[in-house]
Amino acid sequence: MTTQTETETILQAQSREARPGAAPRRRARKSWSDVAFGVWGVVVMLFLFLPIIVIVIYSFNSGRLLVSWDGFGFDAFSTILLKPAIQSAVRVSLITALIAAIIATVLGTLAGIAMARHPGKWVWWFLGLLLLVSVTPEIVDAVALLPWMVFLGQDLGISIFNDGIVRLSVGSSLFATAVVSYIVRARLVGQDANLEEASADLYAKPFTTFRRVTLALAMPAVLAGFLLAFTLSLDNTIVAAFVQVSGTTPWPVYVLSALRSGLRPEIAAVSTIMLVLTLIALALVALVLKRAGDSATQIARTMTGG
Amino acid sequence: MRSRSAGAALAVPAWAWLLLFFVAPVAMVVWFSFGYKPGVFGSHANDILSFDRYVEAVSPTFFATFQNTLWVGVIGTVLCFAIGAPVAYWMAFKVKPQRRGILIALVLVPFWTNFLVRTIGWQVILAPEGWLSSLLQGIGVLDGPLDLLYTRTAVIIGVVYNYLPLMVLPLFVAFDRVGPALREASKDLGAGKVGTFLRVTLPLSQPGIIAGVLLVFIPLMGDYITATVLGGAKGNMVGQLVASQFQTAQNWALGSAMAVLLMLVIMLTIGAFAVVIWLAALPFRSRNRLVLGAVPETAKTDAAPAAALEVTT
Repeated sequence: MTTQTETETILQAQSREARPGAAPRRRARKSWSDVAFGVWGVVVMLFLFLPIIVIVIYSFNSGRLLVSWDGFGFDAFSTILLKPAIQSAVRVSLITALIAAIIATVLGTLAGIAMARHPGKWVWWFLGLLLLVSVTPEIVDAVALLPWMVFLGQDLGISIFNDGIVRLSVGSSLFATAVVSYIVRARLVGQDANLEEASADLYAKPFTTFRRVTLALAMPAVLAGFLLAFTLSLDNTIVAAFVQVSGTTPWPVYVLSALRSGLRPEIAAVSTIMLVLTLIALALVALVLKRAGDSATQIARTMTGG
Repeated sequence: MRSRSAGAALAVPAWAWLLLFFVAPVAMVVWFSFGYKPGVFGSHANDILSFDRYVEAVSPTFFATFQNTLWVGVIGTVLCFAIGAPVAYWMAFKVKPQRRGILIALVLVPFWTNFLVRTIGWQVILAPEGWLSSLLQGIGVLDGPLDLLYTRTAVIIGVVYNYLPLMVLPLFVAFDRVGPALREASKDLGAGKVGTFLRVTLPLSQPGIIAGVLLVFIPLMGDYITATVLGGAKGNMVGQLVASQFQTAQNWALGSAMAVLLMLVIMLTIGAFAVVIWLAALPFRSRNRLVLGAVPETAKTDAAPAAALEVTT
C-alpha cells in the first residue's frame, strides 16, 4: 500500500520535472474533477448521516409523538426507566446478540482456520454453503426457521427450541457464522503457515500449536468477527420477528410493533444510547485491528469480508 | 495426510450448525410449497403434491407485487451504484491515504446502526409535518406540505439509503486494489482519463463491482421493512406478502411457494444481468484483446502466494 503511493508520488514528481510546461495545465484540469468528486463525496456522507442526526436530535423531543417536535427535554430518556417493556426488549436483544455472537465466533473461527490451513476440495463446498447463507434474503431464512423451530420444539418435543432466547440466538447466528468464517479465513490466508511448522518442528503438540500460534495469529480477526457478529445480531429484525415467542420480544421487533401503534420519542432515545454503544464497539474493533498493524484499507477489507 | 483430515474436521461444527438450521429449514420450505392449506385452521398439508401454489402465487393479485419488488430492486441497485461508485472512486484515488480510515469509519457507522431506526429517521424527515417540509415551504419551494411519505419515491430513497454502504465498501476495496501503479502506467502510455478508467480500472475492479451489486440487490429484493415504514400501502413487496401468508393468513404452503419464487426471481435476474453484461462487453473484449491479456497476468500474481501456501501446508 505505502510502496504504491510512494511510486505514485515519485512518478508524479518525475513527470512534473520532465514536463514543466505541461504540469500546471494538467493540474488545473485535475483539480476541477477533484472538486466535483470531493463535493459529491461530502454530499453523500451527509446523506448517510442525515437520518441518524435527526434521530439523535429527536431523542430530545419532549412531545408525545416522535414525528412532531414539541420542545427540548430529557423526558424521553427518563420514560425509558418507567417502561419495563422497553428495558426487557433491549435486554433480550443484548442477551441473544451475545449468545449468537459467541456461537458464530466459535463455529466461524474453527471453520475459518480449517479453510485457511487445511485446504482441499471441501473448502469450495463449504464456501458455496456460506455464500448461499449470505445471499439468501432474510425473509426466506425467517419463514424457513419458523416452521422448523415449531417442528423441532413441538413435533419432536425438544423443548429447548420453544424458548424465545434460544430461537432468537439460533436465528441470528447463521449469517454471523458466515461472516466470521470469511473474516478469519481472509486473515489466515494472508499469513504464512511457517510459524505453525516451526512450532511443530520444535515438538509442540498439535493442540498447543493451535492454541498458541494459529489462534494467536487469528485473534484480531476473531475479535473483529465477534463484534461484527454482535452488531449484526443486534440488528436482526426480520428473522427475529418470525421466530420470537411472546414474552421475549427483542428490541427491533418492539420498534416494529411501535410503528403500528405510534412512534414515541423513547424509541429515538434508546436508539441514541445504542448508537453510542455501537460507536464504542466499532472503535474497539478499529483499535484492535490497528494494534495488529492493519491499515485502514485492510480494516475495511476485513469488515466487508473480502 | 492424517493431520489434514483432522484439521478439516475443525469445520464440522459449522457444517452441522448450518445444515441443521439453514439447509434443513429451507428444504422444508421448498417441500411445503408443493402442499396446500387444509381448511381454516390448518397451516399446511403435504399429502397431495402439486404446483398449484406456484400458479396461485403468480396470479394477477400477487403478480403486481412481484413486478413492484423487481422494479424497486433494480432501480434501487442502479441508483446505489450510480451514487456509490463515484464516492468509492473518490475515497480510493482522490483522498489522502491518511484520511481514508476516517472516511471508511464514516461509511461504516450508519451501516452498523439499526436499519429500522435509520428508516424511521427518514420517516421523520419526510413527514408532511416534519422540519424538511416546513423548511421547503418556508423558502418557497413548495406550496403545500411535503407529499413524499408513503409514495414509491420515499421507498426508493429509503432503500438507496439503507444499502448504499454495502455498495460503497466493496467498490472502494476493489478500486483500492487496482492501485495507482497500473493507472499511472496507462497514463504514461498515452491513455486519457476516460480510457484509463474504462480499460484499466474498470476491468481490474470487476470482482468488487459484482460483489457490490449482489450485496445490494439480494437483500434489497427480500427487504420489506423499508417499504412498510416509508411506503405504507404503496410499498408492497414480495417479502411483505410472504410474511403475511405466514403470520396472518396462516397459509404456509402459499407463503413457501412465494418465498421459493422470490429466490428464483433473484437468481433469474442475476443470470439475465450477467448475460447482458457479457454480451455488452463482447465488442470491447475483442477490440481490447491485448489489454485483457494483462488481466489473467495480474490474477496469476495474486493467486501465486495462495497456491504456494497450499503446497506448503
